[in-house]
Amino acid sequence: MKTSVLVALLAACALAAGCAHKKGFEKEGFAYGCPIGDTKISSMEDLTKAKTVYEGKRTTIVDTEMRCTMTGDLIKVDTTLNNDSSKVKRINYKFRWIDREGMRAAEEEVWKPLMMYENSSQVITAVAPSNKAVDFRLVLQSQE
Amino acid sequence: MIDLSLSRSMVLLPLLAALVLAGGCASKPKTQYGDARSVETVTNQFGSTDLQMIAESMTRSMLQAPVIASGNLPIVTVQEVKNKTSEYIDTRSITDSIRVEVQKSGKVRFAVDAAAMQQQVEELQRQQSDLYDKEQAAQTGKMAGAQYRLEGNITSIVKQDKDIKDVFYKFNLQLWNIRNGLLEWSDEKEIRKTTSKS
Repeated sequence: MKTSVLVALLAACALAAGCAHKKGFEKEGFAYGCPIGDTKISSMEDLTKAKTVYEGKRTTIVDTEMRCTMTGDLIKVDTTLNNDSSKVKRINYKFRWIDREGMRAAEEEVWKPLMMYENSSQVITAVAPSNKAVDFRLVLQSQE
Repeated sequence: MIDLSLSRSMVLLPLLAALVLAGGCASKPKTQYGDARSVETVTNQFGSTDLQMIAESMTRSMLQAPVIASGNLPIVTVQEVKNKTSEYIDTRSITDSIRVEVQKSGKVRFAVDAAAMQQQVEELQRQQSDLYDKEQAAQTGKMAGAQYRLEGNITSIVKQDKDIKDVFYKFNLQLWNIRNGLLEWSDEKEIRKTTSKS
């Protein structure tokens, strides 16, 4: 009897741990290492949608993956941009850093031009300008 | 005779009027404020976007260097960035931008650099004069020496034929430990710009 209860408990624990690992949620308010606050994020797609903003001319480039980590006390973001069209695409991007109160943690970044080959993906990395930045948005814009 | 001159002036007057109107429209300049942080591609010479991208990239990289990330507030002095390109680039403007961004991070203190030393010494000497309250005046011999020095260079490779011009810039920045001469951090930023006629 005791053994069967223990086995059931162990199985439940393993399942729960498996699920938690699958979602990649390390702690409350974070998904894939990225700060999410109260936003409901249940997949990588949810996360990239929540963190990406389009400004100016709309681009067909999409970010398919986003992961965050801390380097010292600064947020570091790795995001994968994907060009699934058969043409070379040129975009501008920047990160917008947000502080604890939801205000800009730093001055607006410079737009950075990026050329993407046809049917390619590229990883862009950004580090917060200071430890005041606790959240961010990736801003994308087409050059064409 | 009178009829001929009248008909000539009747043709010339509307032509002149049309020219004046057209000239007025074409030469009217238009001034607008723009986004100071937008991508500038007027020519492929070194421009504002290059300067801003270099400053941002170098700063973010430097903030991750162990000597700076440790939080010990190291004292840094900014030395020269050598311009090894064929065009005029105000490298002081690049290091000024880097200094501003790093200073804002609150992780570094900057000691007076060689370019500003003359003014610093003059001000100290002025405060030593009889005009100032001795107790409040800044004393000589109290300046903080830098622990690290920041220096670098910018180089370019330019290739051109009749239809295309390709410019490649490489900016290199290094943080040297003044006491032991060790290189504590260095990084590079590369930029390629191509202008084609077609």
